[in-house]
Amino acid sequence: MSSGIFAALIRDTGGSVRSDGPDVDSDAAGDEASDAEPRVRTDGGTVVDGAGERSGSADAEPSLRSRFRRSRFLESIPFWGPPGVLVLFFVYGAIGWNFVISLTGWEGLGSPDYSSLSTEMYTQLLADSSFHAAFQNTLVLLFAFTVLSLVVGLLLAILVDQKIRLENTFRTIYLLPMSLSFVVTAIFWSWMYNPSNGLINELLRAIGLDALTQAWLSDPQFKLAAIIFALMWQFSGYCMVVYLAGLRAIPESQYEAARIDGASTTRLYWRVIIPQLRASTMSAAVVLVVFALKAFDFLFVLFGVNPGQSADILSVMMYRVAFDRVQWAYGSAVAMVLFAMALGVIGPYLYLQYRRGEL
Amino acid sequence: MAQLELDSVTKRFGEGDESVLAVDDVNVDIADGEFLVLVGPSGCGKSTTLRMVAGLESITDGEIRLGGDRMNEKRPAERDIAMVFQSYALYPHMTVRQNMRFGLEESTDLDDDEMDERVEDTAELLDITELLDRKPGALSGGQQQRVALGRAIVREPAAFLMDEPLSNLDAKLRSQMRTELQQLQDDLDTTTVYVTHDQTEAMTMGDRIAILDAGELQQVATPLEAYHRPANRFVAGFIGEPSMNFVEGAVDGDALTADGFRYPLGESVAAAVDGSANATLGIRPEDITVDGSGSLEGDHTFDATVDVVEPMGDENVVHLSIDGGPQLIATVDGLRRIESGTAVTVEIPEEAIHVFDGSSGEALHNRSLDDAELDDRRV
Repeated sequence: MSSGIFAALIRDTGGSVRSDGPDVDSDAAGDEASDAEPRVRTDGGTVVDGAGERSGSADAEPSLRSRFRRSRFLESIPFWGPPGVLVLFFVYGAIGWNFVISLTGWEGLGSPDYSSLSTEMYTQLLADSSFHAAFQNTLVLLFAFTVLSLVVGLLLAILVDQKIRLENTFRTIYLLPMSLSFVVTAIFWSWMYNPSNGLINELLRAIGLDALTQAWLSDPQFKLAAIIFALMWQFSGYCMVVYLAGLRAIPESQYEAARIDGASTTRLYWRVIIPQLRASTMSAAVVLVVFALKAFDFLFVLFGVNPGQSADILSVMMYRVAFDRVQWAYGSAVAMVLFAMALGVIGPYLYLQYRRGEL
Repeated sequence: MAQLELDSVTKRFGEGDESVLAVDDVNVDIADGEFLVLVGPSGCGKSTTLRMVAGLESITDGEIRLGGDRMNEKRPAERDIAMVFQSYALYPHMTVRQNMRFGLEESTDLDDDEMDERVEDTAELLDITELLDRKPGALSGGQQQRVALGRAIVREPAAFLMDEPLSNLDAKLRSQMRTELQQLQDDLDTTTVYVTHDQTEAMTMGDRIAILDAGELQQVATPLEAYHRPANRFVAGFIGEPSMNFVEGAVDGDALTADGFRYPLGESVAAAVDGSANATLGIRPEDITVDGSGSLEGDHTFDATVDVVEPMGDENVVHLSIDGGPQLIATVDGLRRIESGTAVTVEIPEEAIHVFDGSSGEALHNRSLDDAELDDRRV
C-alpha cells in the first residue's frame, strides 16, 4: 500500500519512471540493456536505467528532499491524516485490543494479565454447548431474516411500482417501521405476541383458528421464528425502497420488449427484471446481515440476558458472558467470532465492488 | 408474412374533458412484404400508432388486422410481431445469444437444437456471430443495433415494427445501416412498419410513406409521389430538404398576389384555384432559377437580392429576398459562385409550382410531371 503511494509519488513528480522499485533488477538491467532497445515494462512505461545516475550524483539528495516537499502525498496528509489516526486508534486499535484480551484469561474485577497469552478461550468456546446453540441461531436468524426480508421487500416494491394511486403514502407506510428503534418494536411485538390478549392470538381466535394460537415468545419451538418475523416486518420496508430504486432504473422498454418477446408477467419478472436487480439485492442484503448480527437490542428488551437456548444469539451471549458473568476474556472471544462473521459478509462484498471498479 | 390493415384506428389518452386525441381515424393498408414508413414531426402520433399495432397501447376505436385477424384484444405475445426499439432494449444481463433466444424460448415450442440453429443462422445473416457470447454492455451502438434487429428477425414474425431504430447511431453508421436494413427487408420480404421523424429515412427506405401530423394521416404515397404530388401544404413542407418555399397570397383573378409580389397564373392553374379567396404558392428550392446576368425575362421572373449563401459542396443554398416581396430559398450548383448582397433575377417556372388552399391547406394544383415516372416506383 505505502510502497504503491511512494511509487506513484515519484512517478508524479519525477516525470520518468526510475528503476529503483523492487520489481526491476537495476544492475542486471544496466549490463544487458545498455546497448539494446529500451525495455518496456509491463505497465507500459519504459525503464530508465537509474544505476549510473544514482551512484555518482551528489545533487540527487537535495532533489529528492525537494521532491518530498512538493509531493502531493505530504500535502494531502492534513486532510486524511487526523480522521485516519482516529479511526485507526478507536476502531482498529479497539478490535486489536479486544483480540488481545480474548487471549488472556481475564475474569471478574481486576486487570487483565497480558503475560501469558493462549487460545484457551477459543478451545473452550468450541466445547461450549450454549455457544453452539447461539452460533446456530445466529446463522438461522441471519439467513432466514435476510432472505425473507428481501423477498417480501421485492414483492412490495413490484406491487408499489405498478403506477398505483397513493404510491408515496404506501412507500412511507412500509418504510416507517425501520425508523423505529428496536426497543420500541420489541415492546410492541411482545404485546402482539402476548398469548392471552395479544393481537395475533386474538385474530386467530376471531377467525376460528383457536388451535393455532401459541405462546409465541415462550415456546422454544416458535421463539426464533417469532423474532425473525418481527424483524422482517421492520426491515422489509427498507428492502422495498432499495428495490424500488432499482426497478425505477430499468427502462420501460425492457418490459415492453419482453412482452413482445412473449413472456408472461411472472416470466418477465423472473427472467428479465429480477436478474437486473442484483446490485440492489447485494446492497440491501449487506445492510440486513449487519442488522441481523446486531439484533441484540431486540432480544435484550424481550428476554434480558437469558433468551434461552432456542433464541440465544451471539451478540446476546457476548453481553451475558462479559457483563453479567464478568468473564471478560471469554466475552471477547465471542466478540471476535461475531467480528469474523461480519467481516465474512462485508469482505467479499467490498472486494466485489472493488473488482467492478465501484469503490 | 401478412397484410396489415389499420381501419379507422383512433387513440385517446385520458378520459372526459381532459382526454387528448393522439391518433385520429388512421386508415392504412400495408401489403404483404411492404415496407411502410410512418413519418411526422415529434408528437404527431406515429409512435403511438406503432405501439397500438404492437399491443403496447390499447386501441380506443377502430380495428387493426394482421393477415385478416382482428388484433385489438390480443396480447403482444399473440400477435406474431417483433419490434425493434429506439433504445434497443437489449437485456443487459444476458449474452447476445440469450437475448436472441429469449423470444424463441418464451413464444415458441422449438426444441433447443432448433433454437440454437435459428440463432446461429440469424447471427450469420447479420454478421454478428463473433458477438454471440458477449453481453450488450460490451458492444458498440452499431453492434447493439444489429443484435436488436437479430432478436426481431430470429422469431420470423409476420410483421416487423421498428420505432426509430437508427436514431441513436451517428450519421455515418446510420446511412450504412439504412441501406443494410433495406436489403435485409428485401431479402426477408416481411411486412414492415418503420417509424421515423427523419424524412431522409422516409424517402429512401420506404415502399410507401405515411405522413402523420397532429394524429391525423395526411397522405400515404410512394416517396416520389409525396415529394412531387403532396396532398397538402403540410406534406409539401415536411418532405424535402431544404423544404419547399411558401408564399401566402390572395387569388386575384388569374394571378396570385402578396405584398410586393404578383404571380400570373396560366389557364389551367387559374381554373384550379378558382373559388378560393386565399392561396399559397409553393415552389421547391431546386426549381427556382437564379440568374446574375440579367438575361432572364418573362412574367414569372422577379428581381431579388441574395441575403445569405450556404455552401454545401454539391450545391449552394441561397437565401433570397424578392425586392419588396417575400423571401425564398433556392439551391444552385455547388460550383457556381454567388456572393451575398448581389442583385439577381429569379424565375419561378409555372410548371413547377404547387398551389395550396389558403385556409384548408389542401393542394389545389401540383407541378406538372409525367405520371409514368412516378408510377414506376409504385408497389
